Amino acid sequence: MPASLLAVTTETYSTPVLDWHALAPLVILMVTLGLAIIVDSISARRTSTVLPNLAGLGMLAALIPVLTLAISDDRSRELFGGSFVVDRFSLLMSALFLVAGYVTVLLSTNYIAEGDYHEGEYYFLLVASVAGMVFMASARDLISIFVALELLSIPAYLLASWRKRTQTGIEGGMKYYLMGVFASAIMLYGMSLIFGGTGHTRLVDVGEALHGSFGSEPIAVIGIVLTLVGFAFKVSAVPFHNWAPDTYEGAPTPITAFLSVASKAAGFVALIQLIFVGFLGRDDVVRPMMFILAALTMFVGNVIALRQTNVVRLFAYSSVAQAGFILAPLAVVAADDPAVLSGIVESMTLYLVAYALMNLGAFAVIIAVSRRTGTGEMDSWGGLFSWAPALAVTMAIFLFSLGGIPPMLGWNAKFRLFDAVVSAGTASAYTMAVIMAINTVISMAYYLTLVRRMFVDDAPDGDHTPIKVPVPLVAAMAITATVVVVAGVIPGPLSDLAQSATLAIAG
Amino acid sequence: MIAVLAAAAQNADAPVYVAQNVAFGIIAALMVFSAIRVVTTANVVHAAAYLVMVLAGAAAQFILLGAEFVAITQVMVYIGAVVVLFLFGIMLTKAPMRGEEFARRDQWLAGLFTSVVLFGVLIYGLLDGFGRSKIPQDLQPTLTGEVSDSIFGTYLLAFEAISLLLLAAAVGAIVVSKRD
Repeated sequence: MPASLLAVTTETYSTPVLDWHALAPLVILMVTLGLAIIVDSISARRTSTVLPNLAGLGMLAALIPVLTLAISDDRSRELFGGSFVVDRFSLLMSALFLVAGYVTVLLSTNYIAEGDYHEGEYYFLLVASVAGMVFMASARDLISIFVALELLSIPAYLLASWRKRTQTGIEGGMKYYLMGVFASAIMLYGMSLIFGGTGHTRLVDVGEALHGSFGSEPIAVIGIVLTLVGFAFKVSAVPFHNWAPDTYEGAPTPITAFLSVASKAAGFVALIQLIFVGFLGRDDVVRPMMFILAALTMFVGNVIALRQTNVVRLFAYSSVAQAGFILAPLAVVAADDPAVLSGIVESMTLYLVAYALMNLGAFAVIIAVSRRTGTGEMDSWGGLFSWAPALAVTMAIFLFSLGGIPPMLGWNAKFRLFDAVVSAGTASAYTMAVIMAINTVISMAYYLTLVRRMFVDDAPDGDHTPIKVPVPLVAAMAITATVVVVAGVIPGPLSDLAQSATLAIAG
Repeated sequence: MIAVLAAAAQNADAPVYVAQNVAFGIIAALMVFSAIRVVTTANVVHAAAYLVMVLAGAAAQFILLGAEFVAITQVMVYIGAVVVLFLFGIMLTKAPMRGEEFARRDQWLAGLFTSVVLFGVLIYGLLDGFGRSKIPQDLQPTLTGEVSDSIFGTYLLAFEAISLLLLAAAVGAIVVSKRD
């Protein structure tokens, strides 16, 4: 053995074939990152509008290849032997991440400039995190998924502690970081067990090995459970949600919106890819685990949200509960029923898109309102309709949509979730549907409480002077509200988009 | 440990590298002892020193398995960087050298219960999955050249993403730790 240690490798190295069209969104984001660093270091004024514009344009530019890939004839493009796959699912999710990143830039523009924070690095890290998410959407390999998760998480840990002069900012960032690293370690251990048993990192190969003899071994179950636990943390599923409220309250509000939407969606994308490409051979393990996670997440998130008096904390728990709704279809995965499987992917992608739009919009209103009130307390929202009627109506649209009232987009999306769960037709599926129905009612209670406060209650200090909302925030609200209303009234196009967003499982 | 030896004795007739398997057992025993000392010793600096033992043991096991690149990486990254960082952290923050009793009794019990259950489940799974595996006689070492081929072949994109990740982490860490 020792003699061969320094021997030259026998296999010849073959240069990997790169499909630059498929890689273009990531390449554009990386070029944006490089430009951001250079521009930030040579610009004389610390507060300029160059960087937010650069970050926003970079993300919009990355959308162009996503669109050209979507209209090209290839259903899916595989790189690196199938560990990086660009298919309809990954394109729709990439588009979601890029739009969410762009809206976050719009939300941040005035908040960060007026708050005397480090501006250049803020946008740099935001784009880096979005690049990680776009990478995650195409990663079909354990190593790629792990690297993508870290690339999207580590900038997010740092952004969450951006308000470092406040106690809550440091506390929130620290909790997020420590819990996140802990979850990463657990997940990595699970992945190493799966790799040790199968000898493969590609999810397709892992899936085949799980159908074989490895699938029946206890070590496979431990590996699957530990890997999924890591992503349960990422989507803040109960009992891995402890970090969410403190982090959401302590982080800059635009970052709270970003974490509750994009970061959470990235966790779901990873879960969908892992379960549908890799772990389908052990759906008897995934089903009960997801059932417990989804049920607990909905109940705990909703019940605690009822008691919140701070709007940001209310939305923190609301987003925990919403994660439970998105997890619910995974509780009925059945490997032998393709119709149920495609229904699950379709409903989850549709709900992720809907949830991203309505939550980003709601946070845009929260940022606009707290620009005047300077606090997140719910009392300060009293009589919003009397001094900012447009904001109140916009917020009501998002709240109705989150609660699932027709004709908003949230209603259609939530209906699809119920449909996907019930179509499985098992006893546990009906139980899950009942749990979802109960939780929809509970969630309506706190969404409507906020609506009543805005429209019925009087302003706390009798101050009815109108407020001025900066242009980027108006743009963010306009984009999200338009889609929420239009796609709610005309659900066809978005549903078709979600329906076509199938994973390229074969191969 | 005993279970590993028992499993090894079970199919003793299979062709194996005896010396490597014996060395594996000795190093594993040293690692377990050091790992227990890391958490039981009262002195933080001693704990870091025991951690070096554990990590060096892991590096030695990688050598036994013919994974030279991983072994060298283990020494350079973990012993060379991470433990040194620990020691610098301990010295620069003027942390008390002696540990304090901070865990309450109910936390302690819950922690004990969780770790015992987790330990049992993992040991059962690992023994069931890999308990009968031994270092085979015809073990071929993984050449560093092959590792680099796969890094710049199959995992090229992940490798590029890691370089981006390190840049982002460095930029963010400077901002967050800067005094202003």
